[in-house]
Amino acid sequence: MAVQLMAVTVMTALVLTGSAFAQENGEEDTEAEGSGSEKVVFTVGDDNDIDSMNPAVGVEAPAYFMYALNYDLLVNFSLEDFSPTPGIAESWETSEDGLTWTFHIREGVKWSDGEDLNAEDVAYTYQRSLDDPIANWKSYLAQIDDINVVDDYTLEITTKKETPSLLSAYVYILPEHVFSEIDKQELKTFENYPDPVTSGPFHVVEWRKGQFFRMEANEDYWGGTPKIDEVVYRVFNNEDALVQALKSGEIDFADTLGADFFDSLEGEEGIGLNEASIPSFEEIGFNSGASETQPDSDGHPALEDPQVRVAISKAIDRQTLVDRVLKGHGIVGSTIVPPAISFYHYEPTEEELQTFDLDAANALLDEAGYEDTDGDGVREMPGGGEPLEFRYFVRSEENSSVTASEFVSEWLAEIGIATEVRALTDTKLTDVIYEGKFDMFHWGWFPDPDPDFILSVMSCGQRPPDGIWSDSFFCDEEYDRMYAEQKTLIDIDERAEMVKEMQRIVYNEAPYAVLYYDTTLQAYREDRWTGFTPQPSDGGDLLASYGPYGFVVIEPLSAESQQAAARESAGGVSPALWAGIAAALILIVGGALVVRRRASQEDRA
Amino acid sequence: MTRRYVVRKIAGALATLVFVLAFNFLLFRVLPGNPAQILARNKLLPQDAVEQLEEDFGLNDSMGTQFVKYLETTFQGNLGISYTFREPVSGLISERIWPTLLLIGVSTVGSMVLGLLIGIYGAWRRGSGFDVSTLGGSLVFYAMPEFWLGILLLIFFAATLGWFPISGIVTPGANFTGFAAAADVMNHLFLPALTLTLGLIGEYALVMRSSLLDVMGEDYLTTARAKGLRESLVLRRHAVPNALLPTVTLVALNLGFIISGAITVETVFSWPGLGLLTYDAIQAPDYPLMQGLFLLFTAAIILANLAADLVYGYLDPRVRYA
Amino acid sequence: MTTGIPQSPGDGLTPVPLAPDQKLPAPKRLQSPKQIAWTRRRRSMARTWAAYRKSKMGMAGLVILVIFVLIALGAPLLASRESISATGAEGAAWESPSAKFPLGTDNLGRSVLALTIWGSRISLFVGLVATVISMFIGALVGIAAGHMGSWRDSFLMRVTDWFLAIPFLPLAIVLASLLGASIWNIAFVIGITSWPGTARLVRAQTLSVKTRPYVERARALGAGNWHLVSRHILPNVFPLIFANTILVVAVAILSETTLSFLGLGDPLSVSWGTILELAFGAGAATRGAWWWLGPPGVAILLVVLAFTMCGYALDEILNPRLRRR
Repeated sequence: MAVQLMAVTVMTALVLTGSAFAQENGEEDTEAEGSGSEKVVFTVGDDNDIDSMNPAVGVEAPAYFMYALNYDLLVNFSLEDFSPTPGIAESWETSEDGLTWTFHIREGVKWSDGEDLNAEDVAYTYQRSLDDPIANWKSYLAQIDDINVVDDYTLEITTKKETPSLLSAYVYILPEHVFSEIDKQELKTFENYPDPVTSGPFHVVEWRKGQFFRMEANEDYWGGTPKIDEVVYRVFNNEDALVQALKSGEIDFADTLGADFFDSLEGEEGIGLNEASIPSFEEIGFNSGASETQPDSDGHPALEDPQVRVAISKAIDRQTLVDRVLKGHGIVGSTIVPPAISFYHYEPTEEELQTFDLDAANALLDEAGYEDTDGDGVREMPGGGEPLEFRYFVRSEENSSVTASEFVSEWLAEIGIATEVRALTDTKLTDVIYEGKFDMFHWGWFPDPDPDFILSVMSCGQRPPDGIWSDSFFCDEEYDRMYAEQKTLIDIDERAEMVKEMQRIVYNEAPYAVLYYDTTLQAYREDRWTGFTPQPSDGGDLLASYGPYGFVVIEPLSAESQQAAARESAGGVSPALWAGIAAALILIVGGALVVRRRASQEDRA
Repeated sequence: MTRRYVVRKIAGALATLVFVLAFNFLLFRVLPGNPAQILARNKLLPQDAVEQLEEDFGLNDSMGTQFVKYLETTFQGNLGISYTFREPVSGLISERIWPTLLLIGVSTVGSMVLGLLIGIYGAWRRGSGFDVSTLGGSLVFYAMPEFWLGILLLIFFAATLGWFPISGIVTPGANFTGFAAAADVMNHLFLPALTLTLGLIGEYALVMRSSLLDVMGEDYLTTARAKGLRESLVLRRHAVPNALLPTVTLVALNLGFIISGAITVETVFSWPGLGLLTYDAIQAPDYPLMQGLFLLFTAAIILANLAADLVYGYLDPRVRYA
Repeated sequence: MTTGIPQSPGDGLTPVPLAPDQKLPAPKRLQSPKQIAWTRRRRSMARTWAAYRKSKMGMAGLVILVIFVLIALGAPLLASRESISATGAEGAAWESPSAKFPLGTDNLGRSVLALTIWGSRISLFVGLVATVISMFIGALVGIAAGHMGSWRDSFLMRVTDWFLAIPFLPLAIVLASLLGASIWNIAFVIGITSWPGTARLVRAQTLSVKTRPYVERARALGAGNWHLVSRHILPNVFPLIFANTILVVAVAILSETTLSFLGLGDPLSVSWGTILELAFGAGAATRGAWWWLGPPGVAILLVVLAFTMCGYALDEILNPRLRRR
């Protein structure tokens, strides 16, 4: 017994030291000191963590956040509507034949280590992207034939074909003097930390994996001195903690909140809410013809008929889905280029619009000859063949797809189509789609501001096994012709026309039934900050991670509100009380041991 | 204990370890899907980058080569690279192991001490109100999912009353030092440790109680009583140490249960240890990480069992001289 | 002196002399060995039941179990199937308990009471199927090991020990993750990760049964393996492992709950575990939505408790070792 009690005492002592030890290896923060500091610090919270500071490697959203603030693009995406605006390139022109671009590089831009940023860096970055796999940058630059550094501030790029998408190259300019020292193998493991060489409005100064990273303002930034001194990006393990931290003032901005959490902040004092329209959408994809390229596929033949697909689309009440599945936080969907990319988005005409209309859907199916010959409520192929029973895959990791399926299945039952809903992990679903062994699935896309990529998904060449991106196995000759052409149109209005026409084709053939456009739910302390500028300006993302602008313009509301950002304790027994408990324990145990010792001495006698 | 005993036990443990390694390896080769493709779909990678990823993850070699490579790298301490964190699994594990050890350590000690005391007192005053209520309580705590208990504690003490923080290991944004820092950790530790302790207490109490009841009927105790010793002394000097034997090994045998508890409780409280790491691995799903954690947990249990066998062998004279 | 077929009440075995004017009744037809065996079994089951009835713990557990089984079977009558799907949600989201919704609503407006009622089906189903799988494999391995003995026994036990070394939850996580989320997969995973314990127990019982006289006699008479196992060993081992089976169900239900909570459950079905998973993920804990998080847990607690109590009670009756105390 004495041994056990001794153990307890020792344990208590160990716990106290162990706590301090564990803390060092656990979470810790070294935020700017509270009192006496005049630093303006803006803290963003999210439940996603950055995977790498190296722009060649990172793929998670927070990584793009870091890159947007630390690096520059040659040509930026404007705040208003993602259109090309000057970045590192002050201005540019194209030759008569449209094949030669001349970029005039801004003068006086410096890297954080003092070196000049000039055309050499741009040329190096672009060339390297073509030679080595740096993220997906090659896809933007694939048409480049030759890169020529005319002088320090003039760059000439020649392309094989007219390539307007060069202006939307999402390629961060890397410092040549740093990256030229790193070979292909090292590039993948290069940490780019500590002290990365950067040119953007902010510069990473501290990083604790899984906890936070801290960036200081670059006062000499060419786009203007940021009004904030520091930006901290803090990672939270769950949304409960994230929301609580926002409420208590520990963080200033909570990004990508779930609908329930977002709604719970409604009416909270000092907290502003923003439903940002982002270029992202979710769809039900149909197996529109995998049998052509994947011989082992087994999609239902009925889905190769566009009339069936359109009928299904008309049987889906998108508004209900937005209301019930997204809790109202979304926009009814139509075409594959989201309205957030307003310049290129095509809005279907009233006649074309696949509005929710069960009668019309039923009529379409009747017309096409899919009748319910045996009276079991399910239609069959024309001539009384296979019944219209579809395998409907949802993602087990995405609750909203499961919930949506409950609605969609019901509606489809009312037009005589039976569905078998199955939940798969993303991994398995990708396989299933690749092999064409599905009928319909629910997934989504988050396209670039430039529509080229999402348009490519519908091209014949992207169908497996030759391509990888097409998951509907859609193929249309006219569409492909237009796709190739729009890539070369320099006149953006002309291009927009063509892009819209392509969307119209896809919409009417319905390889996808686009359900809704997502919105990102953000909440922030409006009692402390102002100047938020959404991108795009029509209700977009306040943190504008397609460019640095968001952070250059955010400013504190007032000096006092900064002091008011008290570091509230997250609850708990005070240190004094713990000390008291520990002391009491030790006293009790020690006392008991002493008493015991005396008592047993008596017994021994 | 004899050397033969020790050698036999160690050999057995090693054999089990090898089996587990092979099992671990085979299990993950039934991998569905091409992980490179998965990453690619969401991240806009061109085909040659996908192939590069495939090579990185070593998915192109034959099964036999893969196994040999696997054994080699594992014994070197290399457990692969996590898909989601993009860093070595072994590094992740060594980062996150301390919070888990702290949580498990405190809970195990707490539940052992409290459980033993309750078991002893319950056996001593068998059939009393105390005994019956603690038996019932143990049963109830055993029957409920541990994480659910954690959630209830969280709702009540953290979310509603605000007595304790709702998650994490330290208060973010604070810069405590010294004792204040330790106190901060203890504040965060309290609820998760309480949850795990309550879950474990019942078993220790029950085992101690029945073990003690067994022992109390033995002959040598009758002798002690006849000598005139007080009952409490009989208990303390003779009964308890002998009844203690089964409980010693219980710690090791319970390790599996403790690990399961840690996984779910860390998830509930976002305690940044190996349990939460397991949960993150499930969500991805991050197979190298899962594989590494699985190996670690199993190896820990094998070692714990070995240690328990050796300790038991040392303590129990019957085994020692076998 | 035997006088014929006994007629007086009593234990039915002691011979009783006939009264002077009593006639011997016509002899009954001889029963076959099988019928004799079954009569014996029925009698012992009746005895067990009589003893069980005396156990307060056992009866309490049984009552709770019966209630839950009735709830599970009668779910369609108690709450409409539509009320648990998103399309049929009748209330506003996050409502606390009221007259209309005694247990409030979840984040989609569905009645928590309805969800808990329907959840009983999946939870119990998975628990039972997992147990059947576990008992089947465990019994197979255990009987084979115990009966065949020698190197086969050592080998099987070695393998069993190896599997015992693997911690349940991490293994279940890995398997469930690889196989994918569906009720059958979860049941399968739980079943094949919990057989070692059963195997050991069955083996021990097989060994003890093996040494009983009637087994030796049967063998001397030339009985083959199959006959021995099916006619002698299995029926005698079964009551001893029955109590253990009940306890395994309890653990299986807890396991399903845990796996579902971690996100490995079937997202298309409602079980107590998936309710808790959804609730926790939607922030019910920090919102203080105790009405959503409480009931499923209480249900699990009661069911597991009930199974455990029944199991303990049965164990005391059927397992002579414990009966002594």
